[in-house]
Amino acid sequence: MSQVLPDDHETVRTDPVAAEDAVVEIDSFSLWYGDFKALKGVSLTVPRNSVTALIGASGCGKSTLLRSINRMNDLVEGVRTAGRVRYEGEELYGAGVDPVEVRRRVGMVFQKPNPFPKSIHDNVAFGPRLAGRRFDLGAVIERALKDAALWEEVKDKLQGSAFGLSGGQQQRLCIARALATEPQVLLMDEPTSALDPIATDKIERLIAELKGRYTVIIVTHNMQQAGRVSDRTAFMHLGTLVEEGPTDQMFTAPRHELTERYVSGRFG
Amino acid sequence: MTTASARRARGRLFYAAVLTPTLLALAVLAALVLDVLGDSVSWQVVEPAGSGSSFSVAEGFRFTGTWERVVRLELAARGESAEEVDALLANSEERRIFAARNRVELMWAVDGQPLRWVVTSSRDKLISDHALVAGARERKALLAELRPGQHLYLNQWLDGSIFGRNTSRSPLVAGLAPALLGSLWVMALVILIAVPLGAAAAIYLEEYSQDTWAARAIEVNLRNLAGVPSIVYGILGLAVFVRFMRLGPVVLAAALTLALLVVPVVVIAAREAIRAVPDSMRQAAYGLGATKSQVAFRVVLPAALSSIVTGVILAVARAVGETAPLLLIGAAAFVPGLPSSPMSQYTVLPVQIYSWVGENNPEFAHVASAGIVVLLCVLALLYGVAFWLRRKFERRW
Repeated sequence: MSQVLPDDHETVRTDPVAAEDAVVEIDSFSLWYGDFKALKGVSLTVPRNSVTALIGASGCGKSTLLRSINRMNDLVEGVRTAGRVRYEGEELYGAGVDPVEVRRRVGMVFQKPNPFPKSIHDNVAFGPRLAGRRFDLGAVIERALKDAALWEEVKDKLQGSAFGLSGGQQQRLCIARALATEPQVLLMDEPTSALDPIATDKIERLIAELKGRYTVIIVTHNMQQAGRVSDRTAFMHLGTLVEEGPTDQMFTAPRHELTERYVSGRFG
Repeated sequence: MTTASARRARGRLFYAAVLTPTLLALAVLAALVLDVLGDSVSWQVVEPAGSGSSFSVAEGFRFTGTWERVVRLELAARGESAEEVDALLANSEERRIFAARNRVELMWAVDGQPLRWVVTSSRDKLISDHALVAGARERKALLAELRPGQHLYLNQWLDGSIFGRNTSRSPLVAGLAPALLGSLWVMALVILIAVPLGAAAAIYLEEYSQDTWAARAIEVNLRNLAGVPSIVYGILGLAVFVRFMRLGPVVLAAALTLALLVVPVVVIAAREAIRAVPDSMRQAAYGLGATKSQVAFRVVLPAALSSIVTGVILAVARAVGETAPLLLIGAAAFVPGLPSSPMSQYTVLPVQIYSWVGENNPEFAHVASAGIVVLLCVLALLYGVAFWLRRKFERRW
C-alpha cells in the first residue's frame, strides 16, 4: 500500500476525547530524522486511565510517535521536531525542558525484555535510585512488582539474577521497573512481540489491570491484541494519523478507506 | 567432477594439515615444560670439605648444636653477653637465615655487621652435577664411583624454601622472594593504573566521543600503540619516569612503564566488551530517566566489567612476563632487600631469571629453571583466573 496522504490530512475522529480527560495531548506534532519527515503534523489526545493502541504498517511512525511522548527520539542524531506535546498540561518540548526529567516521569517498556544484568531487586530499584531515592526501597519494589503481577513469583528470590526469569517474567519485570518510578503514563512498544502466547496472555491481562491506575499507550502489530486490550485505537500510515476512535468502532466500522483496508487485513 | 570419496580425502588432508602443526606445537610446549621441570632437579655428587676457618664444622648443619657452638664462640669473642646470644638464637628469623646458609657458608651478622665467614658443611665441594633423567640412569655408575666421604643426592632446587629466601651469590641459597614480591608489586600497581585509565578511555571512546578526526586519530594510534615493541616503552619509561620525573629505578617507574604497555590492550579489550553490551540495555536505562553518564557508569560499565577484567588480566599476564623494558629502566639483578613500597628498588621474576641464566656458575641454571617454573605457574594462575571469571560471569543477553 503506497498511497500517500497529503501532509494536511484531517484525522478522522470518532467520539473525540474531552480536554479535561486528557493526560497526553499531542498537537500538530511533526518530526524529522535528518531530511526524512517521519511524523506529519500528528494530533492525538490520550484520555486518563485508558489503553490506547497505536496500529499501522511497519515504518508508519507509530513507534516514533510513542517515543516522542518521553523524548526518547532526542537520543537519535539529527532529530528535529515541530508542534507540541503536553503531559499533564506541561509542555514536553518547551524551552528549558530536560528530556531526562521527562523520561523519569513517563514509563517505557520495549519490544524485547531488556532487564539489566543485575538482581531482580536492583532492576526494579534502578529508577528510584536514579531519582536519588536511597531508603524504603523495599516498599516501592514490592508495590511495583505487585502491580506488574510478578510479586508472587519472585518474592523469594529478589536477590537472584533477572536473567534467571523466563521471557514473560522478564518482560513483567521490565514493566515493574517502569512502574517503580511512579509514572502517570506507561508507553509500551510492541511488548509481547518476543513472547509466546501464554506469556502474551499474561501481559495482556496485566495491561487491563494497569488501566485502573495508569494510562497505557501501546504500539502493536497484532490487530487482535489491539482489539483485546485497548479502549481507543489510532491508525497511522506513512507518518500521518489517519483515523482514531474507540477500538470497537475502529474495527467494526472504520470510516477511512485506508483504515478499513488495514483492519480487514488487506495490507500491512 | 568430485566424488564423495575425493571430497572426504581432501577433508582428511585439510584436517591433517591443521592438526599436525597444532599437535606438534603442543608436543614441543610439553617437552619444554618437562625440560624446565627436569632442570629444576639435579643429582649432585658432593664431597664434604673442611675449610681453613678455625670454626669450620665438617659434620655439617645436621648438628645444629655444633652450629650454635660456633656462633656462641664467635659472639663471645666479640664480647656479647650470654643473654644476648640466647635472644639472638631464639629469633626464628635469624635461625632461618642460619639454616638456609649453613649448607655452604655462614655469614653471621650482628647489627648488620659481618661477623665472620665460616666455610663449612658436609657438602662444600661439588664434584659433579647431573640432570634428572641422565642422573637416574647413571645412578649405579655414579654410586660405584663415589670416593670415601662423597655422596650422591637429589637436590630439589624448587622447594618451598625458595620462596622465602633472598637472592644470593651462591646458587644453593639463592631464593625468589625479592623477584616474586617485586613482580606482585609491579602487577598490583599496573592494575591500579591501567584499569581506571583503560576503562575510562574505552567508555569515552565508545559512549561519548563523536566521529571526529580527533577520535579517529586516537583510534588509529591505540591500535598502533598495542603493537609497539616493548623495548620502545622501556626507552620511553627511562626517559620520562626514571630520568625526567626523577623516580629512579623503582617499582613505581616499572609499573608506570608497563602500564603504558598495557593500556592500549586494555582499551581495545574494554571497547570490545562495551560494544558487546546490547543497545537495548542503554535504551532501558534512558527510558527510566538515566543521564548519559548514569547509563555509562551504572549500566554499561557493570555489564561489561567481567569482560574488561578478563582482558586486563590477559594484558597483565603479558606485562608480568616482560623483561626488555624493565632491563632498560633498571630492574636490578641483585636487590639487597625486599621491596616494601612503590619507591623501593626491585627486581622481577623474568629479570631475575635472565640474570641467573647469565651466571658463570652452572648450578645457577637449576635455580633459573626453578624460577621459570614459578613464572609459568604465575602466568597459568592469571590465565586460570581470567578463564574462571569469563565462565562465572558469562552473559546471555
